[in-house]
Amino acid sequence: SSRKSRFEAGQSLWVDDDDYDDEERSSHADVEPIDQDEIFELIRSISDPEHPNSLEELRVVSAEQIEVGDNHIVVEFTPTVPHCGMSTLIGLCIRVRLLRSLPPRFKVDIRVQPGSHQSELAVNKQLNDKERVAAALENPSIVETIEKCIETAESSRRV
Amino acid sequence: MALDLPFSLQLHTDLPGHEDCAWQVAWNPAKPLLASCSADKSVRLYSYRKDPYDPSKLSFSYLTTIQTGHKKTVRSVAWAPSGKSLATASFDANSAIWEKSEASEDGEDPSESEEWECVGLLEGHENECKSVAFSGTGTLIATCSRDKSVWVWEVNPDAEYECINVMMDHSQDVKCISWHPTEEILASASYDDTIKLYIDDPDEDWFCFATLSGHVGTVWSLAWAPRGDYLASSSDDLTIRIWRRTAKHAWEFAHQLKGHTRSIYSISWGTGKGDNLGWIASTGSDGKINVWEISSPQRDGARATLSSRLVASVSSAHGVYDVNSVQWCPRSGLEELLATTADDGSVRIWRLSSTALVS
Repeated sequence: SSRKSRFEAGQSLWVDDDDYDDEERSSHADVEPIDQDEIFELIRSISDPEHPNSLEELRVVSAEQIEVGDNHIVVEFTPTVPHCGMSTLIGLCIRVRLLRSLPPRFKVDIRVQPGSHQSELAVNKQLNDKERVAAALENPSIVETIEKCIETAESSRRV
Repeated sequence: MALDLPFSLQLHTDLPGHEDCAWQVAWNPAKPLLASCSADKSVRLYSYRKDPYDPSKLSFSYLTTIQTGHKKTVRSVAWAPSGKSLATASFDANSAIWEKSEASEDGEDPSESEEWECVGLLEGHENECKSVAFSGTGTLIATCSRDKSVWVWEVNPDAEYECINVMMDHSQDVKCISWHPTEEILASASYDDTIKLYIDDPDEDWFCFATLSGHVGTVWSLAWAPRGDYLASSSDDLTIRIWRRTAKHAWEFAHQLKGHTRSIYSISWGTGKGDNLGWIASTGSDGKINVWEISSPQRDGARATLSSRLVASVSSAHGVYDVNSVQWCPRSGLEELLATTADDGSVRIWRLSSTALVS
């Protein structure tokens, strides 16, 4: 529980954000309508930062926990244990994956399943603070970890 | 639009240019200049003048880009009251002060290419700087950071900048700082949902003399009423709160505005026109710009009642993108002009016009 994610620990290094894959983002821009299953498809194969499994295998994410509104998506996920120190990192992976895949008209909110994490409010607040997310994505060590985790989702998608 | 409002916001000019999300916009208080800052690490400057073909309009033109050398996002940009210095605050933990180099200051034509140079680096925060601002007299600068601290810096005559105080009163990131327009009172807003007010004790240090609680989400932005008798704050809780000064060092909650569906990232309080307390413009993640007229119609016992009405609103102000910053033009005669910046990297200029005249 006292273990902090690297994001929370606030390492502050430099990263160039050329990594943003605009091409991939726009290639999906024509896909519509987007439904629950489509969103799930994008995130199910993301790897857990600590386990050799995907978020789907660990039951961290499921299609039922995704809500798709008009231009609004809410993704709920379930940390494996209530003191999971990797929760903000998992949430960031989901956010980055959706940021790169969905057209920019979608506003995305990411939350842990109610009651599934002892620091539920803190995790939710952090994951939906645009400024904190932007700063985290300029931190090379966080970006490196995210890239590793979402690589599996991106490659499964391309095949 | 279904709403029947007395004013409308007309898009006056679109100024695209930043390669990444644009975080903040700042009108120069003394000169026809506008600055915007971005995740692309640059500041873009625009000048404006009366359109030679249509004197009722202004024509804006791109002037120059300051490649700041900040290693990360430039989150905040602010002008000194003199209009001569510009401050930037970056996620790289530093703030910097910029002035036009003397060589280009001599040039008669402001449209000539000009050079801006870094005249001071404000170092010391542990991580992301989120906001920077000059005091009303320009002799003090404040900065704040995710490291939970607020720093006050003294501007010495030879462009030396010295940190004179560090305040550690917030329990979380400090998102925004703002100086009272005429007095040396500093306000800070935080991820801890509170607002704190500070003054200088002449015998001691700067200290926090009041904490304003009530918001139930991150407080993103602060705006003092032009006369300094009220302070407005905007939050993740989808409300704008107005706090009233009741004594020299006493503030209390006075009024609440609701009209956004997602986080309200930025507010600005302009002088407006006519006999009221001015206009509050607000914007945020829902992409909407709202303009509220604030007035104090009658005395209710000893206390002045505050009232507000929505006078203009525009949706999708920057298309599908979040709008990050809104600011009224502070210059006389241009009170109806607003500037906004958004995740699309553009700056947009809006003019508030009476609907009666438009139709």
